[in-house]
Amino acid sequence: MSSSTSVRTDAPAVVLTGITKRFPGVVANSDVHLTVRTGEVHALCGENGAGKSTLMKILYGMQPPDEGTIEVNGEQVRFKTPADAIKAGIGMVHQHFMLADNLTVQENVVLGAEALHGIGAKARRKIQELAGQTGLNVDPGVLVEQLGVADRQRVEILKVLFRGAKVIILDEPTAVLVPQEVDELFATVRGMQEQGFTFLFISHKLDEVRAIADSVTVIRRGTTVGTADPKTVSSRQLAEMMVGSELPSPETRTSTVTDIPVLTVSGLVLSAPDGRALLDSIDLVVHSGEVVGIAGVEGNGQTELVETVMGMRKASAGTVTLGDDDLSKLGTLARREAGIGYIAEDRHRHGLLLTQPLWFNRILGYQTRKPTAKGAWLDREGAKRDTERIVEEFDVRTPGIDVPAAALSGGNQQKLVVGRELAGDPKLLIASHPTRGVDVGAQALIWDEIKNARARGLAVLLISADLDELIGLSDTIKVMLRGRLVADADPSTVTPEDLGSAMTGAGSTSAAVHEEGEN
Amino acid sequence: MRRRMRGIAVAAIALTSVMSMSACAKDSGGGSAAQNNSGGSGCEYAAAPPAAPAASTSAGAGDKVDGSALKVGLAYDIGGRGDASFNDSAAAGLDKAVSDLGVKKENVKELTAAPNEAEDAKQTRLRQLATDGYSPIIAVGFAYAESLKVVAPQFPNVKFGLIDAGVEGAPNVTALTFAEHEGSFLAGVIAAYQSKSCHVGFVGGVEIPLIQKFEAGYFQGAKAAAPKIEIEKKYLTPAGDFTGFQDPAKGQEAAKGQIDKKADVIYHAAGASGKGVFSAAKEAGVKAIGVDSDQYNQATVANEKDVIVSSMLKRVDVAVYTFVKAVAKNDLAALPKVFDLKVDGVGYSTTGGKIDDKLKGILEGYKAQIIEGKITVKDAP
Amino acid sequence: MGKLRGNLLPPALAIVFSALLCGLALVLSGANPLKAFGAMVNQVGEGSTAVDIINSTGIYYIAALAVAIGFQMNLFNIGVEGQYRIAAVVAAIFGGSVALPPGIHSLAIIIVAAVAGAAWAAIPAILKVTRGVNEVISTIMMNGIALGVAAYLIRRDVFGELRGNNIRTPEIAESGWVPGIPLGDNGTLFGLVFLAIALGVGYWVMMNRTRFGFELRASGESATAAAAGGVNAKKMILVSMLLSGAIAGLVSMPEILGRDHTYNLNFPGGIGFSGIAIALLGRNHPAGIAFGALLWAFLDKSGLALDNVGVPREIVTIMQGTIVLSVVVAYEVVRRFELASEQRRVGRELASAGGAA
Repeated sequence: MSSSTSVRTDAPAVVLTGITKRFPGVVANSDVHLTVRTGEVHALCGENGAGKSTLMKILYGMQPPDEGTIEVNGEQVRFKTPADAIKAGIGMVHQHFMLADNLTVQENVVLGAEALHGIGAKARRKIQELAGQTGLNVDPGVLVEQLGVADRQRVEILKVLFRGAKVIILDEPTAVLVPQEVDELFATVRGMQEQGFTFLFISHKLDEVRAIADSVTVIRRGTTVGTADPKTVSSRQLAEMMVGSELPSPETRTSTVTDIPVLTVSGLVLSAPDGRALLDSIDLVVHSGEVVGIAGVEGNGQTELVETVMGMRKASAGTVTLGDDDLSKLGTLARREAGIGYIAEDRHRHGLLLTQPLWFNRILGYQTRKPTAKGAWLDREGAKRDTERIVEEFDVRTPGIDVPAAALSGGNQQKLVVGRELAGDPKLLIASHPTRGVDVGAQALIWDEIKNARARGLAVLLISADLDELIGLSDTIKVMLRGRLVADADPSTVTPEDLGSAMTGAGSTSAAVHEEGEN
Repeated sequence: MRRRMRGIAVAAIALTSVMSMSACAKDSGGGSAAQNNSGGSGCEYAAAPPAAPAASTSAGAGDKVDGSALKVGLAYDIGGRGDASFNDSAAAGLDKAVSDLGVKKENVKELTAAPNEAEDAKQTRLRQLATDGYSPIIAVGFAYAESLKVVAPQFPNVKFGLIDAGVEGAPNVTALTFAEHEGSFLAGVIAAYQSKSCHVGFVGGVEIPLIQKFEAGYFQGAKAAAPKIEIEKKYLTPAGDFTGFQDPAKGQEAAKGQIDKKADVIYHAAGASGKGVFSAAKEAGVKAIGVDSDQYNQATVANEKDVIVSSMLKRVDVAVYTFVKAVAKNDLAALPKVFDLKVDGVGYSTTGGKIDDKLKGILEGYKAQIIEGKITVKDAP
Repeated sequence: MGKLRGNLLPPALAIVFSALLCGLALVLSGANPLKAFGAMVNQVGEGSTAVDIINSTGIYYIAALAVAIGFQMNLFNIGVEGQYRIAAVVAAIFGGSVALPPGIHSLAIIIVAAVAGAAWAAIPAILKVTRGVNEVISTIMMNGIALGVAAYLIRRDVFGELRGNNIRTPEIAESGWVPGIPLGDNGTLFGLVFLAIALGVGYWVMMNRTRFGFELRASGESATAAAAGGVNAKKMILVSMLLSGAIAGLVSMPEILGRDHTYNLNFPGGIGFSGIAIALLGRNHPAGIAFGALLWAFLDKSGLALDNVGVPREIVTIMQGTIVLSVVVAYEVVRRFELASEQRRVGRELASAGGAA
C-alpha cells in the first residue's frame, strides 16, 4: 500500500511463461504466466488446491515444469534443484518451518551453507548484520526452541538472506501468526522492500493481500486468470477472479427442509494440547432435507468441527446426537454405522487407500455392514457388486473395479468416494470440500447427487471454500471464525463478498448476514 | 482400563529393574576393602601347605605310535582356530598329532560352528566328517553333546571324542572332560598372592555351568590362600547368549569396572573376550590371569602379555593329542576319566617369570593336597 | 499377468543379482564360484540336509509370519527374537512339569507358548498405545531382557537341571511330544511343520477374508484413511502386536516338541531376525514368505557344504544380506514403474473410450 517507489524498476525480477505441470491423472498447472517486477511485493492468490504450491515448487527448483520457461533478471534459467534457484537469488520461506529446535539460530542459519561464510566469527558477523533487516533481535547463540513463532519465521527469512536471496517467496506466512505478529511481519517486509528485495507473497486471505501487495496475480484451477492492482481492484472483483463465475450453478431453490432434526451439536468444545480452544461451544442443528453450509477462512476450525463430529478427535465437552442417538461417546466406526456418510476434505489422506483396487476402497468405513461384510467376514462379492453399481451410477471413468484407486483422476476418485458415502442410505452426509480439485464435469455430477440425496431427506453438513458452491447448495450458511460460529447468512440473498467480509471478521456489511445472537 | 494397563507397565518395569539389580550384585568375600594398602601385600595369608615336589605324570612319553593311517576330523565350537583360547588349544593338540604321530596333513579336516546355529547344523557337520571317512572325529565343546547323541549311533565304527562332555549310551563317544575347578583353584591362589589390595576379580564369558566351574574353583582357591580376600565377579552375557565369548569390548568394560573397585588381579574365563580383560589390566597397570592356553605366548595378546602373571591351563591340546594317540594304538581304555591336576590335564603356566619360586612352592603344595584329596574343590558356586 | 510379474520379477532379479555379487566376491577371493554353488546344490542330497531344509523352512516361516502381521500395519516387531525365546523357555518348563494325556499335553504346551509370546509382546504394545513408545526401541530392549529372563529361569536353583556341562529345563514327557515323520537316514520331518502350513493358510484367510485383516491392511496402507474409515488405531496396534507375539511364541515349537523336548543352552538364536528379512523378501504374502523361508533354509543348510570345498561359509550371510537389500530396492523400482504404467493404461483406455479423464 504505502510502498515506496524509489527502488522499483521496470526490469522484471522473475518471469514465468507458459508453465504447465501434469501429474498422473491431473493437471496441476497449465499455461501459467507470472511477472514479478524487481522491488515489489507481488501476491499470488488462489484457493487451496488452485495450484499455488506446485507453481512455487517449480520456481524454487523442487519440481521441473513439463512446459514453459523461467526467466530471472531477464535471463532464462533451468532449475534442477533448489540449490540452483538459491544461486539465482531465489529463496523460499516455507509455511511449515524447517528448523532444528535443538540448534542455535546461528547453527540453523549456517547449516548447509557452510561454504559461504564459514561457521565461525565471519558467519556470526554476517548473521548479525542481516538480522537487523529481518527484525530479529536475539543473539545468534540462542537455541531455536526458545524462540516464539514470529522469531522463528524471521530465522527462516534470515536463512534465505544468508544464502544471498534477492527474491523471497513467502508461502502463507501469516497462517501461523497472530494479528499483531502479522503487522510486524508486514513492517519487516516493507523495510526490506525499501532495500531492494522482491517478495512473492502467497496467500488466500484477501485483506492481507490488499494490505501488503503492490500487485496481485490470481490463480484458479491451475492457471493464472489475471493480474490486478490491489489498490484499484475491489475485494468483490478479486473474489470473483478467485472463485470464477463461469461455473455451473449449484442453485437449488425448492426447499426440502423439514423440521426433523438429524444432527444436533450442542456446546461442543475441542481444546488443543496447549489449552487453546480449537472449537468453542459450537451449537448446530441440521434437519432432514437441509444443507447447512459452513463458511470460513481455512484454519478457523472447520476441519476440527468435522473430525470431532466424526469421532476422529475427542471432544473436550459437548454432545453430538444423530436423530435420537447420542453419539458423544462413540468411536468413528459406530458413528458411521449410526448413519453418517463422510466425504473427507483430503481424499488422498482420508478417503482412499490409493494402492488398493476400487472394490477394496468400497469396504473402507463399511467393514461391518452389508453389502461389504457379513459378521467378521468380508463379503468380497457384495463389495464388488456394489462398486460396479457406483461406477455405473456415478459415472466413475475407469476400465474396471480392479484398478488401484491411484490410477484414477481426481474427479473420478472423488465420484467413487461420494458414491460410497451415499451408499446404504445415510441419515447425514458430512461433505468437506466435496468438489475441490475435480474437473467441472465431476463437480456438476457431485452437486446433482448431493441435491438428489437432499431431496430424499438427507441432512447435509457442507464445508467449502468455494463460496459459489456454498451459496448455491446450502439452505443455511453459518460463518466460522476462530473456532466459533459467528454469523448466519441467508444463501438466497447473500453475495460472496458479504460472506467474505464476515469470514474475515470484518463485521456484517449486508442484511443477509446476521451476527450470531442478533436475531 | 487405561489405568490398569499403566499398572502392568509399571510392574513390568519394576520387575526388570529388580532383575538387573540382582544381576549386578557382586559377591563380596568377608572383610572390608583393602585394610592395609600400605603394607605392600594387604592380605593375611592362611598357612600354606607344605611344598611338594612337582610330580609330573606326563602321559606315556617315549613309546612310538604311528598315526599315519588316521583321518582326523575336528569340529570346533564358535570361534574356531585362532580364538587364542579354547579352540586354539584343540588345534595345538591336532598340530602335535600331525607332527609327532605322523598324521598326514591332507588327512585332517577342520570345521567350525557358527554363532546361534541350529542343532541340525552341528549334526550335519559331524555327519559330513563321518561320511567322508574321518575317524577319529573330535567335537570341541559340550554344545556337540546333543548332536553326537544322534549322529554317533549312525556311525558305530567311527571313534568320536567330545571335549567337555560325555554322551550316555554311545560307546563310540569318548568323553574328554577336565577338572577346570582344580586348575582355577590354583589360579585363585596365584591371584591372592599377587594382589596388593587383597581384592581380586573374575570375568566369565557366559554364565553357564562350565564357566561357573572356573568361578567356583577360583573363589575357593583365593579364599583358601587369603580368607579375608574380596572377590569381584562378572559374567559378560547370560546363559543362552554365547556372544560373551567373543566380545573383547565387553570384557574390557567388565574388567575396568572391577579395577575401579580396587581389584588388582583379574582372572578371566571368557574366550576371545579375554583380550579386553588384558587391555583393561594393562591400561590400569594391574595384573591378569589367562585361561585355557598359555596366553603369555599368544600372538593375539602379545601387546598385553606383560600383565599376564599366569594362565590356568586347560590342556585341551593334551586331551586331543592323547585321544588321537589312543585311537592310533587302539587303546581308549588307557585314557584318563577326567583330565585333572593329577594327569596334568589342568595346571598353571609360569611363562614370563612372574611366579617366583616361593609362590611356586606354595602352589605345588596346594596341588599336592588336591591330588591327594586333602582339599576337595567344589565344581559349582 | 502384470500383477504376477510385479510380484515375481523383483525377487528373481534380486536373487540373480546377489548370486552374481557373491560369485564376484568368490572370484576375487580366489575361489571357484561354480564349484561353490555346485557344492551347495549337491549338499541337498546329502544325509539329512533335505529334511533339515524343510524343517528349518517351517520354523523360519512361522517367524516371518509373526513379523509380517506387524508389517501389515507398519509395526516393526523386532521383538520376535525375544518373544520366541521367552515362549520356548516358559513352554518347556510348563511341558516338563505337568503330566497330561498325550495330545492334550502337546496342545497345552503350544497354547502356553503362544500365550507367553503374546504376553511378552504385550509390553511394547501397551507402551506404544498408552505412552507412544516406539515399538522398534521397546522390542529391541525386550529382546535383551528376554535373554536375561530365560537365563534366569533355567538356573539350577530355579527351573533348570544340569546335564554334563549343559543346563536345560526338565525334559518334557513323551505324552507332550509331537511325533515327526521318520525318513530313516534322511532324518525326521517335524510334525509341526504342518502347523506352519496351517498358520500360513490361516494368515491368508485372515488378511483377505476377514474384517480384521481388512482393517490391518487399511491401517498399514494409510493410517489417516483408516481412521476416517472408523478403524481404531490403538486397538489394531494392540491386537496385531499380541497376534504377532503369539505366533512368534510358536517358532520354537517344532524343535522343542519334535526333537529337543527341552530348552537348553544350545537353543538357536537369531530366527526372529531372519524372520524380518524373510517377511521383507516375501512381501508379507503367505506364498512369498514360504518361498523366502525355503530360500533362507536352503542357504543356511547347504552353506555347511562350503567348508568342505574350502570356501568361507560367511559367503552365505553375504548372499542373504544382498538378497534382502536388492529385493527391497527392486520392489520399489517395479512398484513405481507399475503404478505409472497402470495410470497410463487407464488413461489410454478412457481416451479410446472417448471420455475425458
